[in-house]
Amino acid sequence: MDSVPSNSHGNLDEQISQLMQCKPLSEQEVRVLCDKAKEILMEESNVQPVKSPVTICGDIHGQFHDLAELFRIGGKCPDTNYLFMGDYVDRGYYSVETVTLLVALKVRYRQRITILRGNHESRQITQVYGFYDECLRKYGSANVWKIFTDLFDYFPLTALVESEIFCLHGGLSPSIETLDNIRNFDRVQEVPHEGPMCDLLWSDPDDRCGWGISPRGAGYTFGQDISEQFNHTNNLKLIARAHQLVMEGYNWGHDQKVVTIFSAPNYCYRCGNMASILEVDDCKGHTFIQFEPAPRRGEPDVTRRTPDYFL
Amino acid sequence: MDSSSHMASLPEDIITDEHLQQQTQPASASAFASVPQRPPTKSSSEKYAPLDWSVYFDKEDDVAIPESNDVFHVYTAGTEGPVVFCLHGGGYSGLSFAVSASKIKEKARVVAMDLRGHGKSLTEDDLDLSVETMCNDVLAVIKELYSDSPPAIILVGHSCIILLTIIGKKLLHHQSMGGSIAVHVAARRSLSALAGLVVVDVVEGTAMASLIHMQKILSSRMQHFSSIEKAIEWSVRGGSLRNIDSARVSIPATLKYDHSKKCYLYRTELEKTEQYWKGWYEGLSDKFLSCPVPKLLLLAGTDRLDRSLTIGQMQGKFQMVVVRHTGHAIQEDVPDEFATLIVNFISRNRIGPHGIEIPGLRKPAFSKP
Repeated sequence: MDSVPSNSHGNLDEQISQLMQCKPLSEQEVRVLCDKAKEILMEESNVQPVKSPVTICGDIHGQFHDLAELFRIGGKCPDTNYLFMGDYVDRGYYSVETVTLLVALKVRYRQRITILRGNHESRQITQVYGFYDECLRKYGSANVWKIFTDLFDYFPLTALVESEIFCLHGGLSPSIETLDNIRNFDRVQEVPHEGPMCDLLWSDPDDRCGWGISPRGAGYTFGQDISEQFNHTNNLKLIARAHQLVMEGYNWGHDQKVVTIFSAPNYCYRCGNMASILEVDDCKGHTFIQFEPAPRRGEPDVTRRTPDYFL
Repeated sequence: MDSSSHMASLPEDIITDEHLQQQTQPASASAFASVPQRPPTKSSSEKYAPLDWSVYFDKEDDVAIPESNDVFHVYTAGTEGPVVFCLHGGGYSGLSFAVSASKIKEKARVVAMDLRGHGKSLTEDDLDLSVETMCNDVLAVIKELYSDSPPAIILVGHSCIILLTIIGKKLLHHQSMGGSIAVHVAARRSLSALAGLVVVDVVEGTAMASLIHMQKILSSRMQHFSSIEKAIEWSVRGGSLRNIDSARVSIPATLKYDHSKKCYLYRTELEKTEQYWKGWYEGLSDKFLSCPVPKLLLLAGTDRLDRSLTIGQMQGKFQMVVVRHTGHAIQEDVPDEFATLIVNFISRNRIGPHGIEIPGLRKPAFSKP
């Protein structure tokens, strides 16, 4: 079915095999890969349609070995279809290998994996929370960081599974009432500090009704009345989102109309949380699979600074 | 008082040759007499000359606490908006917030207090830096400043975070208990004195892990200074501060003159307060997270979060900003950025002079006509 030449497939399969061993590609290989990914992603909608069966995943945050564990538990791509809801980089030690693998899988099996944008797929955030520094460390320059952050602008913002399950990284926006509102704006830009695109990547559900100022400093909190209205207006059954750490790996809210999925176990190698993925079968049944962190294989030596003056 | 008056006698303008001559005289009698000391060049002296607080704050006051002999020094700036109440870190003083206060005052009022044993505050026991005592000190000062009708207060704390969460709770409790004037309480029942919490570069887990190094760090500091200029120069060149202007105004307040040794020493004998350090940090992450007002955590690096704060941040419980190109004293090293972050925090959370101003935001946006 794929129109790409077989030799290109061969190269890609070798690269995927290399990446599965947590070995990064060369800068030139990354450049070629991301150029192909850009061509694919620019054709995708801001509300990307996805068919079931599909396994929906939350934040990964550079925890490559836990992503490998996720594939062991959920099944290999392309045998299992996947939908990842963003935040592939920052915090963990292996953002480079993690995001490269997911992009490579996207290029190789474009119909079987969907990768959305999270608030960390951003130039500003990655300069603070680790991806930039990791690229410098592993490649000796910021070129790979620039290649990826340019590519991030092309990631779809949301996905729609069987026209019923609305998937995105963060949450709703006071500026967005319908899915067409999302389809109509230009997503190819850095994540803005405010506005509807920012809200989709930053907002959180809340127990309190109405809209609230997000404690995070960006986005909004939204109550059950808001999500009910949005689901009703758009004929949705469920909003699946990531963005928040939940200790059991998933958490229902708003009378089981909003679910949070978090897929980085023992987040930041210190939180002690479980991770989970959501399997949606072709009869639209839902099954959560929880998992623990992969067995530790010595973390890389990232030297801690001597403490300075803390009093 | 001697050290205070001595510092006050320093000229505000450029140091003259005559004064340089006077300066070298005490130095020759100090413990460093055997070391030949080259007089500082004029440009060096000018570069590190002390700056007066009045360049940045509008006013200074002594707040005497009734039924005690304790007097706390406060610096204030601005006339409108909520109060940004600043609590400095151990070994600093209220003037640590001087440069940033001059920016914040355009949008809010600023109060920066010298804590017990620091700056120009004088108490019966300057070495009692226990959480309980210092909390009572701050509450007493707030009560003296505002009586039973405090404005909305955004507490900003550099390092001494435990003070904030406990003080914050007492402010809330004070409000719910009501003051002596019932009408004020009734009118303000829906408002809280505490409107926001800003923590500057402290995390419980990281701080607790650092305490075992603290005495060594304190003792490795330069201890004696022949002049205030030398102390300012050391703080900037020795690495604890990165902003010369801020150091010129804040460092003098951290010193006292020792007449017998004929040199300047640290005003606050932090090494003698070790018994209290653990109490400053124990349990603070959970107390911070459970405080129900908008919260902002400013950090100088990303690797400083402990488990509780990592979970809380990733659950969206508070705003975190990592400020780059700064050391531990963010408010001194990057005062403009610090002030902008404070003002934006106030604006984003709609904090007015009497608390949160737009409760209507919680109404569904969809209901608009």
